[in-house]
Amino acid sequence: MKKFSEKQTGILSHSDLRTFKGKCIYWIFFALLSVAAVVSLLPAIWTVLTAFKDTKEIYEGFNFFPKDMSLNKIGTRLYESWKYLDLGDSIINTIVLSIGNLVFRIVVCGFGGYVLSKLKPRGTKLIFTLVVWTMMMPGQVRMVPNYISWLHFPFAADMGMGVSLLDTYWPMWLGAGADTFAVLLFKNSFDALSNSYVESAKLDGCSNYGVFFRIMLPLAMPIIIYESINVLSAAWSDFFTPLLVLDKNAVVPLKIYRLQLDPRVQMNTYFMALVFSSIPPFIIFAVFQKRILGGINVGGVKG
Amino acid sequence: MKACEKKAAKKKLNGKNSLRNEIDAWVLMLPMIIILYLFVWRSTVMGIVWSFFNMKAYSVRDFCGLDNYIKVLTHTHFLPTLFNTFKYVFWSLVIGYLPPLFIAIMINEIIHFKNQFRVIIYIPAVIPGIAAMLMWYYIYYPDKTGLLNMLLGKIGIEPYQWLNNPKFTIIGLIIFSTWKGFASAMLLYYAALQSASVEVYEAALIDGAGPYRRLRHVTFPAIEGVLLLTFIRQIIGVFQVLQEPLAMTGGGPNGASTSISFQLYQYGFNSGGKATGQAMALGVIIFLILIVFTIFYFWFNRKIEERY
Repeated sequence: MKKFSEKQTGILSHSDLRTFKGKCIYWIFFALLSVAAVVSLLPAIWTVLTAFKDTKEIYEGFNFFPKDMSLNKIGTRLYESWKYLDLGDSIINTIVLSIGNLVFRIVVCGFGGYVLSKLKPRGTKLIFTLVVWTMMMPGQVRMVPNYISWLHFPFAADMGMGVSLLDTYWPMWLGAGADTFAVLLFKNSFDALSNSYVESAKLDGCSNYGVFFRIMLPLAMPIIIYESINVLSAAWSDFFTPLLVLDKNAVVPLKIYRLQLDPRVQMNTYFMALVFSSIPPFIIFAVFQKRILGGINVGGVKG
Repeated sequence: MKACEKKAAKKKLNGKNSLRNEIDAWVLMLPMIIILYLFVWRSTVMGIVWSFFNMKAYSVRDFCGLDNYIKVLTHTHFLPTLFNTFKYVFWSLVIGYLPPLFIAIMINEIIHFKNQFRVIIYIPAVIPGIAAMLMWYYIYYPDKTGLLNMLLGKIGIEPYQWLNNPKFTIIGLIIFSTWKGFASAMLLYYAALQSASVEVYEAALIDGAGPYRRLRHVTFPAIEGVLLLTFIRQIIGVFQVLQEPLAMTGGGPNGASTSISFQLYQYGFNSGGKATGQAMALGVIIFLILIVFTIFYFWFNRKIEERY
């Protein structure tokens, strides 16, 4: 147990904590945080527990905890739901989708952000202004025109020779690249790296590409990891574009959305689907926990 | 002397390589230019242009002036949906704006289980969006299978209609999105709180400032910039709310949770292709409403960046 004397001075100091009033404030904070923690966790816990109940229990007992919590029961529920839900294909699809998204995000926004920040060819000002201005526009203006462009890629409208991107992952991949906010985020973090890296490497005879791939890109790892975490976890939660685009080859979020509309799916199996679909993002969170909880200042005030 | 030589060398290098530089830069930037052109810039222009055209499903027909706009603005649903959208914004500010700040301040002050609290409170943000929406759809379920009604049942209260009650449905969706989103706002505030250093607090303590005055004169100045930015950003973000009503209520009951963006989705993708032009007109209308906030946001963002 930590001691109050270790407390750094903030709104409360350790001398405050020796008084009755200070102690009261401290423990009120503690109680409120505990309530917040319960509220954060309760829906998730309820979902997991419901997934392990029998259908009958859900409609009759109205209890929070399942009756039978033996390992045997848990095993059967997991096995049966997995077999019924048949999520294997959509999980592979989602992994393919998320890796494609990541490649596009880094190649398009990362490279572009670097050029806008460091190489600055003629015309940089114009392009930067365009990027900032379109970031101001709400995406709704583009929703229908983008759908029309997917139907006739690469043309904006029907010219008789475009390719339809429906039922492929291209709309999502291209969309992951068309993120002006990410371009600015990359530009800002390249801005924070000193120009002298570029200059000294060039004096040593490094080409522009050498400077970028061998020096700047490794230095920009924090922002690349930050974006990777965002992009990889977003693929497990975005259902909107897949809803417009995909028919076959559904990704997990879309599959979850469609399962809800299917009256044959039992409630407990459905809750198990919600649990299964949350596992990959939780793995990402567990691996990168420190970075996610500490490194948000990448976006910081500029966010 | 040495600096001078270096500068001259650099100049020579730049002169020799300036063309090479331009080419390399444009090659690296090419993917961005192409994709932004295809799916951001061109689409924005087309969205505005086509809002003045008759559309047949997803193909463009003839110019029709302000027809689409008149149809959208005179539709009996327009004013109620606009009003709903403002209701979303209002309730999200009332319910969702301050809790992340309070929690960030409290976590910053606490010394017991500080890291555990941070991890647990972040969990709603880890659950994928669609799974969380559907989870809450069942939490709000109108019979006793739903979590809230089950808990009410335990203390002997009859099941409540929750999202099926037109008066509650928007508040319900906002409670959900507050639950889902407050961890990331909290992290933003928490990072800003770190900029008020221990030294400043200690100086204030020596000057005899109590907890309240330290909160008012040390903590608050450190975060007021971020606080105002998130305020405007929340207005802009919630004004475009679409996925929550789409997944959780379908805009119902009886249109009570239909937002402007949801209406746009209906025009664009759920009207059998009859109202595609109106979807784009509505997009332009949303843009015009939001531009005031957005310009203010960027102006203010620049001011804050200058200050730090």
